[in-house]
Amino acid sequence: MGNATGTAVSTSARTTARTDVTVTGMGVVTPVGGSAAAVFDAMCEGRSGLRRPDPDGPLAGSLEVAGFAPPIDPVSVLPAPETRVVDRYIVMALRAAADALADAGIVAGRDVDPYRIAVVLSGTGGLATLESQVVARTERGRLGVSPYLLPGMLPNMAAARVAIGHGIRGYSSSVGTACAAGAQSVAEGWRLLREGVADVVVAGCSEAPLFPTLADTFANARALARGWADDPAGASRPFDRRRGGLVLGEGAGVLVLERAAHADGRGAAGYADVLGWGATNDAHHPTTPHPDGDGAAACMRLALRCAGLAAGDVGYVNAHGTGTRLGDRAEASAVRRVFGADGPPVSATKAVTGHLLGASGVVETAVSVLALRRGLLPPTHNLDDPDPECALDHVRKGARPAPGVRYAVANSFGFGGHNVSLVLGPPSTRLARQV
Amino acid sequence: MSIETGSLAEIRAFVLSALREMNYDTTGVDDDTRLGPAGADLESLALAELGVRVEERFGVRFDDDEAELLGTMTVGEFGAAVAARLGSAAAGR
Repeated sequence: MGNATGTAVSTSARTTARTDVTVTGMGVVTPVGGSAAAVFDAMCEGRSGLRRPDPDGPLAGSLEVAGFAPPIDPVSVLPAPETRVVDRYIVMALRAAADALADAGIVAGRDVDPYRIAVVLSGTGGLATLESQVVARTERGRLGVSPYLLPGMLPNMAAARVAIGHGIRGYSSSVGTACAAGAQSVAEGWRLLREGVADVVVAGCSEAPLFPTLADTFANARALARGWADDPAGASRPFDRRRGGLVLGEGAGVLVLERAAHADGRGAAGYADVLGWGATNDAHHPTTPHPDGDGAAACMRLALRCAGLAAGDVGYVNAHGTGTRLGDRAEASAVRRVFGADGPPVSATKAVTGHLLGASGVVETAVSVLALRRGLLPPTHNLDDPDPECALDHVRKGARPAPGVRYAVANSFGFGGHNVSLVLGPPSTRLARQV
Repeated sequence: MSIETGSLAEIRAFVLSALREMNYDTTGVDDDTRLGPAGADLESLALAELGVRVEERFGVRFDDDEAELLGTMTVGEFGAAVAARLGSAAAGR
């Protein structure tokens, strides 16, 4: 079952003069480690990043389990005076972006014209920081509100501060499509490179949802897994019969996308190409996915068409797979409709990281990149008893060797019905990264 | 040693304390140090915050056009400006 071999891309799609979009750098901040390899290995080893909140901390009454990323000292990424009122989402974004740029070996002004490097860095924004200032205002009145609130929390400020910190003077923006925002940022980066707007794009997303108000709204919406306080590692169970909801996590993911010819010009090696993307909206409900996965299926089909691939070419799908009853069932239905009953192997990263909201899409794209480079498909942790309603060729109980795998699809679906699928393939740079 | 409320010494101590709380290094900062560039190096939002802190502590307010000039003031000049406003406020009571 499954098609791990893949076939060549149609000649017409590959010989047309175009810009190949290659991933030349990756940086992540996650509950299971600060590199794409750490996330990949955590999946393969069944090493969970989920744990109970500090019993004396603010989240104790709100969350049973969460995915906490390691602390990052804001002074390590920002001037000290700017660190007092800055949201953790910005700090994590700055760390991931710095790591991704270092991984790519890119310094704006040295390796690329500062006006030819762009940044598309997204996130929900610093809602915890906003809340802290609401509290300050309640307690101290209008003079309790910091002038630094907006630069400390606006959803564009990760992009802005990465631009400031790295001297990136080209196009910059952020995307607001909830849990699809990271993948959509990568898609936007692809478009910028294809349209000739930039030679390099720093694309990613960062999310810091682990504060009581956001936790409470997820809990009150009955979106969270419950009953796993004594076994936090078991809480996130994509596609498993015992799944009961998502587990909130925090983190960031940033990719450096580069015109392959530009990378070749500086002798840089590529991890993988982003071959294409699709984006749709369910137009169904603000938070509930379409039960049949109509929008998700259309999204994957658009992505394959954009990439010039047939469904049978795909050798791995990294599912959105949040562990919710409805979401997993809808995604499985969509995958079956696109790829058939004999579709490619599928696994979900959120079983070990929790749901990093928009950042998940980038982290999971990085995992998919490594799956292609290593010829090894990471399993879905906790998938002990696959739900028959989620029937797929699940990778579980250990990684699956796939030496011929060439193409992967990574799915991201967000509140609002936003769907984004990315298609990845071998790097078209002369040099390929060893991983 | 007690410091008289609203005295230059108190205002100076408050400003230096505020700068430290704002994560500025106050080593070597004295009355002759400019608040803005080539001095304590407070940028625009930091100057705004200092103004807010002074307003919250002493009840004196700098208008927006005055606030733009704070960066050109020294610590001593700023303290004197705050003290002068305090004095005016006291005289007006």
